[in-house]
Amino acid sequence: MAVKEKSILNRLYFISGCMFVFGIAVVFKLVSIQFLQGDKYKSLVGKRSIKNVTIPANRGNVYADDGSLLATSIPKYNIAIDAVVSSSKLFEENIKALSDSLSRYSGKSSSYYQRAIRRARANKNQYYLLAKNIGYSDYVRLRSFPLLNKGAIPGGLIVEQNTKREFPMGSIARRTIGYERIDEKGNVTRPGIDGAFGVKYLRGTDGKRWKQKIGKNKWKPLTDYNQVEPKDGYDVYTTIDVNIQDIAHHALLEQLDKYKADHGCVIVMETKTGEVKAISNLGRSSKGVYYERLNYAVGESHEPGSTFKLMALAAAFEDKLVDTSDVVDTEKGILSFYGKKVRDSKHGGYGKITVSKAFEVSSNTGVVKAIDQAYKEKPSKFIDRLSAMNIKHGDSLGIPIIGEAKSIVPDPRVKNGRWSGIALQWMAYGYGVSFTPLQTLTFYNAIANNGEMVKPQFLKEVKEFDKVIVPFEKEVINRQVCSKETIGKLQKLLKNVVEKKHGTGNGLYSENFSMAGKTGTCQKDYRDKDKLNYISSFAGYFPADNPKYSCIVVIHEPDKSVGYYGADVSGPVFKRIAQKIFTDTPIIDEVETLEVKNAKAESQFEAYYKLAQNHKTIMPNVVGLPAMDAIALLENMQVDVKIELLGAGIVKKQSVREKVKLNSNQTIVLNAS
Amino acid sequence: MVRETNKYFKFDWITIILFFLLVGFGWLNILSASNTGETIDYFNFSQPYSKQLIFILLTLGLIVIILSIEAKFYERFSSIIYIVSMLSLVGLFLFGKNVNGATSWYAIGGMTLQPSEFAKAATALAVAKYVSDLNSDIKRLKDQIQTFIIIAIPAILVLLQNDTGSTVVYGAFFFVLYREGLPKIYLNLAVLATLLSVFSLKFGATITSILTVILIVAYHFLSKKKPPILQSLFMLFVCVGLSVGIKFFYQSILQPHQQERISLWLRLEKDPVKLEQMKKTFAYNLNESEKAISSGGFTGRGFLEGTRTTGKFVPEQHTDYIFSTVGEEWGFLGSSMVVIVFVLLIIRVLHLAELQKSQFSRVYGYGVASIIFMHFLINIGMVMGLIPTIGIPLPMFSYGGSGLWAFTILLFIFIKLDSNRINEW
Repeated sequence: MAVKEKSILNRLYFISGCMFVFGIAVVFKLVSIQFLQGDKYKSLVGKRSIKNVTIPANRGNVYADDGSLLATSIPKYNIAIDAVVSSSKLFEENIKALSDSLSRYSGKSSSYYQRAIRRARANKNQYYLLAKNIGYSDYVRLRSFPLLNKGAIPGGLIVEQNTKREFPMGSIARRTIGYERIDEKGNVTRPGIDGAFGVKYLRGTDGKRWKQKIGKNKWKPLTDYNQVEPKDGYDVYTTIDVNIQDIAHHALLEQLDKYKADHGCVIVMETKTGEVKAISNLGRSSKGVYYERLNYAVGESHEPGSTFKLMALAAAFEDKLVDTSDVVDTEKGILSFYGKKVRDSKHGGYGKITVSKAFEVSSNTGVVKAIDQAYKEKPSKFIDRLSAMNIKHGDSLGIPIIGEAKSIVPDPRVKNGRWSGIALQWMAYGYGVSFTPLQTLTFYNAIANNGEMVKPQFLKEVKEFDKVIVPFEKEVINRQVCSKETIGKLQKLLKNVVEKKHGTGNGLYSENFSMAGKTGTCQKDYRDKDKLNYISSFAGYFPADNPKYSCIVVIHEPDKSVGYYGADVSGPVFKRIAQKIFTDTPIIDEVETLEVKNAKAESQFEAYYKLAQNHKTIMPNVVGLPAMDAIALLENMQVDVKIELLGAGIVKKQSVREKVKLNSNQTIVLNAS
Repeated sequence: MVRETNKYFKFDWITIILFFLLVGFGWLNILSASNTGETIDYFNFSQPYSKQLIFILLTLGLIVIILSIEAKFYERFSSIIYIVSMLSLVGLFLFGKNVNGATSWYAIGGMTLQPSEFAKAATALAVAKYVSDLNSDIKRLKDQIQTFIIIAIPAILVLLQNDTGSTVVYGAFFFVLYREGLPKIYLNLAVLATLLSVFSLKFGATITSILTVILIVAYHFLSKKKPPILQSLFMLFVCVGLSVGIKFFYQSILQPHQQERISLWLRLEKDPVKLEQMKKTFAYNLNESEKAISSGGFTGRGFLEGTRTTGKFVPEQHTDYIFSTVGEEWGFLGSSMVVIVFVLLIIRVLHLAELQKSQFSRVYGYGVASIIFMHFLINIGMVMGLIPTIGIPLPMFSYGGSGLWAFTILLFIFIKLDSNRINEW
């Protein structure tokens, strides 16, 4: 050994010392990283490199009762180009070809695209939008264009996928089918069935997946699987019948247009089950065009006017205080209570008439007098009877659609119960009380259904593929709202309104099929003479015997110069719906000629319907269609076109040829005879 | 004595246990680092963790073979082993496979072998053989040069193959030679050179040169036993030359990524924007590894629970950056344990080396301890940013068959030698 013992020991210590010092340094660094700078690093970790990305679940579809699609979700793509990422060589090689391809795709000139993309490149624009909200096939096409086919790098292709809710039936029943809209502030608007069942059934559960940042705005999935699998929403099958809905929509539209009314709604309900077959709510936009604006049928409570006479008389008949054959004196058409006057629409009144006739001619004085005589001693009895028939204050049907308005019924026993000296008399003809059209219809439907009051149903079932998840059964609100005897009387009265020559609804009478109903012409804003307006309504059912459907039509603020009586404004809508349904359904028990007569209407409707389904952006052949149907068809296209109608009746000529792709704001002239 | 009566107990079981602790814990971390979150399939041999399991099982066979061979074999044949090993390194220039820019692998069938790993053990044997030769004396310049050549050959060969990390490891032999009596002047020179390099890079060659001149002149005139003027002048010349030379070396010889690593380590870049940029680019690994370690906290996130490990944020995490997995999933406690086990292993080997009667065994033992220490130092230092980034695996821990087997051979030859220490040679 060449080295002395002590020296060796020193050297050993030195070497061990080096290692020990390093060990200490490591531990110090560990403490520094994990504890002293821990927060700094942790914030970096959270902020930058990893995120839990939500994978949106596919929203369920909404179907009509026959399986027609009412609402579905379709992927849409935005295609943009990062004009900076590609190398000069690659860019120059492809820019011409890309511009040519884009030009062929959109119709804009190739030089336009070349200039725009070059400008984007010069401005270091990393997001130049090429196409927005395009469908899958267009997306595939754009993706194959020169430069873009090189992908994100080095081509600069940017693809954003989002899901758009599509309504194959256009705006029909939009308020009831509903949608979900979230504005910039995060407020959610969610009307209709979508609002009622969106969260519970349609929405599904979003999935989650970790993604790791790999570059600016580029995230790669961290794992091959999702942390939470997205669960697609269930499909919702509504009770809506597309045919009836379509009829209701267009019948209402036509009438609103004719009367320049502010808004209106129609509900068609299946009598036995309460299934809502059609619900249409149209309001006028500032430009005078009608569209599904608000769900008036469910959300708008108003004074019903004469349609309420049915409820009033129902109570009186049930309490056996009035009968159909009782005679009342209409006293020249004016009654006075505490200085307030009840007037009949017919100047001079009807003289002494039966209660039955008072109802049929809708004599205000007659019905008011009958109710006044029956209940003036004890008005609370009237309120109690109405209540027994499920006409109560602050009540609602409890339907799932958000925003159902509550009813108003005054009560003398309740403080601030809206009661006054004239409350009973005014209630008798539908003032001072307030109901939504759907609530009114529910009562009418109960009468049609021989006293069984059923809850309006909007959904048949909720399905996951073919599996029924939630079935919706008929719900009975009141097994018997009043005695069979009363029901019989009321049904007779309603039938007479249409069938009797003096009936207010006699204008609707058709010898081909029977209807029963009650007109309503209610003054609105009557406290201010200048603002005075009307609510015209018609509620009833058909066929008059063994009813299948009940229906209510309410039209607000028709142009008084054109007309405002319920029978004139709302009645025709009711009749048109009844008529069309009759021609469609096999319950017809009428003469055979009817079928022959309506075969044409039927075939027209079929033709219209088929066109409406198939052509969304291509000009259909509307020659031979009734002008109203043609207009409705064109208005329901996915392109906004302007339509000029010359003449009326059947379309003879269309300015744009068939099968031509329609552009926005294009004007189409229809010549009709 | 137990060791004499039972042939199994003649092996140093403490070292063996420490070895397997590291290998086992290493494997758990490889499993964690290479697991992509699916269910673990131990027989899916495309997964690193399954492969490593096979490597570990094969290691057992290797250990049996190493321990069955006569201890004398390693001494007698060390020269041949060394020559074969050097030839295998040379052969890489002809048949080598390039992985990540380094031509360090032979591809045999579906497997790759990295001869530079095995060359360390061969060099340790050769150095031990040469230094322990009765005719050699490490204090003699001739023997110093010869030893230096033995070490330099593999070091230069791996450097030419672009495996800078392995080259640096050969610096470990400095400890060995120092222990065996290498004159102090070398240590002084090494420390001086290191200090000068760091100073020159950090504060510039001019300032460093002026400072050194002042120090040497002051020492020359103030020292009690006046050093010869020639010696002081020589020192002056060397130091100034070194500080200017290192700057030149840094700027002209080092590759850009090496420059930047050093630049980041010494915080040479002052511009915060550029610094941030550097952190995101070439210091990405370090940055991510520090983040992973920091997110572990005191007790860690738990086995297979590290999000940054599962998320594959740290590139090469199952190989060179395996320690960051320990940091994240086992926290401060786990990391400290690993450090402690490594230090225990190294000290145990050093302790055993000192007990050897044969100089060959002792020098070899020092070689083993130093090589393991060097790897440990560079790897952990790199993962935590203590030293500039140099890619090198953590012994027994990192993924890779060659590395694992090389360290097994390295360590178990020593265990075999140690088991033989009471026998006469």
